[in-house]
Amino acid sequence: MTTGPTPHHFNQPTRRKAEFIRPPNTLKAKVGSGGLAEKILNKAQALLESNSVDFMPLAELYLASLMNGIDNARKEVLITDAEPLIAGILYPAMQLKANGGMFHYQLVTRTADKLIQFLEVIESPDEDALDIVMAFHSTIRGIILSRITGDGGRHGMELMDALDEACLRYFDRHPGQRKDTDFDYIHSVDDQTP
Amino acid sequence: MYQMHNISILVVEDNQPMMDIAKSLLLTFGVGHVIGAADGEIGFKRFCEYNPDIVLADWMMKPMDGITFTRLIRNDPRSPNPYVPVILMTGFSERRRVLQARDAGVTEFLVKPFNARDLYKRIAQVIERPRQFVRSGDFFGPDRRRSRPMNFSGPYRRENDISNPDARERLRAQQMEAHEILRKIREKSGMSPGEKFGAINPNDIDML
Repeated sequence: MTTGPTPHHFNQPTRRKAEFIRPPNTLKAKVGSGGLAEKILNKAQALLESNSVDFMPLAELYLASLMNGIDNARKEVLITDAEPLIAGILYPAMQLKANGGMFHYQLVTRTADKLIQFLEVIESPDEDALDIVMAFHSTIRGIILSRITGDGGRHGMELMDALDEACLRYFDRHPGQRKDTDFDYIHSVDDQTP
Repeated sequence: MYQMHNISILVVEDNQPMMDIAKSLLLTFGVGHVIGAADGEIGFKRFCEYNPDIVLADWMMKPMDGITFTRLIRNDPRSPNPYVPVILMTGFSERRRVLQARDAGVTEFLVKPFNARDLYKRIAQVIERPRQFVRSGDFFGPDRRRSRPMNFSGPYRRENDISNPDARERLRAQQMEAHEILRKIREKSGMSPGEKFGAINPNDIDML
């Protein structure tokens, strides 16, 4: 045990006061215990898998919005803050990722996820980056128009590999364009489709 | 079994097909009352009107998104229950996005696309492991730290973790060996037990 004076660090006054509150668990009191039966969960999953919503009109909306984002970024090359431009592309891409798999288009989800990972790590949407985004747009559009549901099988894997290669070539050509992020866009391949 | 018919859930989602799916899943779970709203603004009105037990909200909505909506629930004086669990649905799964949602006061995060079990797990989480709330200068919301389970039985992070019985045994053996070496050094050099080693050169002692 130390016998010297208390280090300065521990003598400083508290800067922020935090109040901890434990609200009453009324939710638990209402539902009780025991969880849900497996039968109910299976029924809900079957319902999800059998939904017959046509994803095409929704996808067309998001693709148009993505195209709009690409056009804006091409027009605004001199703008110093790239974030709003990237966001204009990122948000429709996120919608495609989120909704594709919910309506049986798992390959749309995987492709859009790869696009998001690319957008999350680039510094600015330069011409080459926008060409890559355009390639993603065309690929997703192709999947939707061909009504390729599920993961697309071998053809789907080939598409993903080709897009990976395009991203890698981009970063080889623009080594300074990659932000320091705590994930690797190539290795964080999704596995979240239902 | 859970008596889900006793609770109400507000679903805030601007994508109608997605809203229909979420509602159907909740009704299949047996939820008593499912309320719908097409964006954060309408969602907050419905929230004040119905005071639901859980809120399930999408992130990207116009004119009001899920983050702003969550902040209203937590901080607006009209909010009937600032402690309500908010489950945020989104396609984002990147760490910084999750942190952004957490800092707005979101309780749980549900990454889309999701399956029935994913949704159920989030609901069960807010029922079984409610978070304590924190009020500090610039934040009010669920405690952003996850509590650590006390009866952890998984793999140890470090091999020499003192709570690992094998590592503790190894350390004890090393300690015993060190004591034995010290005893021999004292014996060889004629030092008494309380005497310090300062004047001795270890190179002079062959047993080391």
